[in-house]
Amino acid sequence: MEDEQIMREVRDGEVGKLELLFDRHHTGILRYFQYLTSNRTLSDDLSQEVFFRVLKYRHTYQPGGSFRAWLYQIARNVYADQLTKQKPEVAMPEEAREIRGAETPPDREFQKKQETLMLRRALAAMPGDKREVLIMSRFLDLKHEEIAAVLKCEVGTVKVRVYRAMRDLSDRFFALSGERAS
Amino acid sequence: MNCERIREQIPEALAGRLDKTAREALVEHLEGCASCRTEVAELNAVWRGLETVKSGMDAAPDPGAKMRFQEMLAAYQAGLAAAQPVVTKNRTTWFPVQPVWQFAMAAGLLVAGILFGRLVPQAGNANPEMAQLRGQVESLHQMVALSMLQQQSPSARMRGVTYSEKIAQPDPQVLDALLQAVNHDSNVNVRLSAVDALQKFASDPEVARAMVNSIPGQDSPLVQIALVDMLVQLNARNVTPELARISKDMQMNEMVRQRAAWALHKMETER
Repeated sequence: MEDEQIMREVRDGEVGKLELLFDRHHTGILRYFQYLTSNRTLSDDLSQEVFFRVLKYRHTYQPGGSFRAWLYQIARNVYADQLTKQKPEVAMPEEAREIRGAETPPDREFQKKQETLMLRRALAAMPGDKREVLIMSRFLDLKHEEIAAVLKCEVGTVKVRVYRAMRDLSDRFFALSGERAS
Repeated sequence: MNCERIREQIPEALAGRLDKTAREALVEHLEGCASCRTEVAELNAVWRGLETVKSGMDAAPDPGAKMRFQEMLAAYQAGLAAAQPVVTKNRTTWFPVQPVWQFAMAAGLLVAGILFGRLVPQAGNANPEMAQLRGQVESLHQMVALSMLQQQSPSARMRGVTYSEKIAQPDPQVLDALLQAVNHDSNVNVRLSAVDALQKFASDPEVARAMVNSIPGQDSPLVQIALVDMLVQLNARNVTPELARISKDMQMNEMVRQRAAWALHKMETER
């Protein structure tokens, strides 16, 4: 059964069916918060809050739209509320702080690991709005139409924002690594 | 199309979500624009790197999370039940209470059902003339597609490929012509379109094998990448050994090797 049909039934009173939607989307929502906060405990709490709000505001669900887009709109609001509670902070992965200090053995695996850490560092240093659109597009595989519905903008705007976020990340990554692709 | 518009499409192209027309425009532009090619190479390196970041951060959900959710749901349901008004039992319904009337109603419905079934014409007796006409149109589509695929002009061959997509029933001759186009057509755009058209023949496992065998012989990395993407789309697990060889073949373009490695990973994770 499609998400939208299940959500219609949840909205109409069969709230137990929300468990099906939890099973399908909890991991995605958890990842969304993990990429944004780099804090597992906080991400767990925020994910629970999202599904609580789905129940609380189930009457506001409009059939016809994508359920996933509506769910991520709620997740976005939950994150925005969290930011008002405390100073926005993206924790740096511990190992990423030590990239520069180590000598570089000519080992391919180590080099790859270093590149991954630099990429995580570059991602964490990006402005929140760019990081968010990249997370939705690259890590959560949301379609541009869904991202447009979440961010309440045109699909064309999403395309431009994803490209600019990629460009920004690429500049930060190559600045850290000291080399550019040719 | 200018560079700015083209570059906005790069993330979609890297994600394999670009439609055929846009991809052809991108290919055409890249062939003549060195700076956009560099842009693709840089963004591709970062895009691939993000895959590793993603797999490194994908921790399994805490099993306790489901329990917390269920507790919250149970509490909410209990709250709802407490808020419901008590329903009285003496409401009137259209359904009869007496067993005699219940039996009479069931018998009436049965008779109505039998009558309805006899009066409504059966779906199996479709008009044979219409079926014959459909068959003739289908043959015509195949003939036109085959004829156009053999034309001198690339645009005519492109139309042939497009035409082949209209054929409802996959035909071995059309399949053969499309594979010929993928392997031997001199025009990159025709080859790319032919790759897309092969999706229709997904049920034939030999198609996936023919596609993967075509990759080493291609001179365009874009066609090679399109072939790899199509194999992922078809979930062609029967050709993973060949893809593994491609991902390690140092003679191959680096982007193609990376794409093949990504394809293997993707099919493995979707298993």
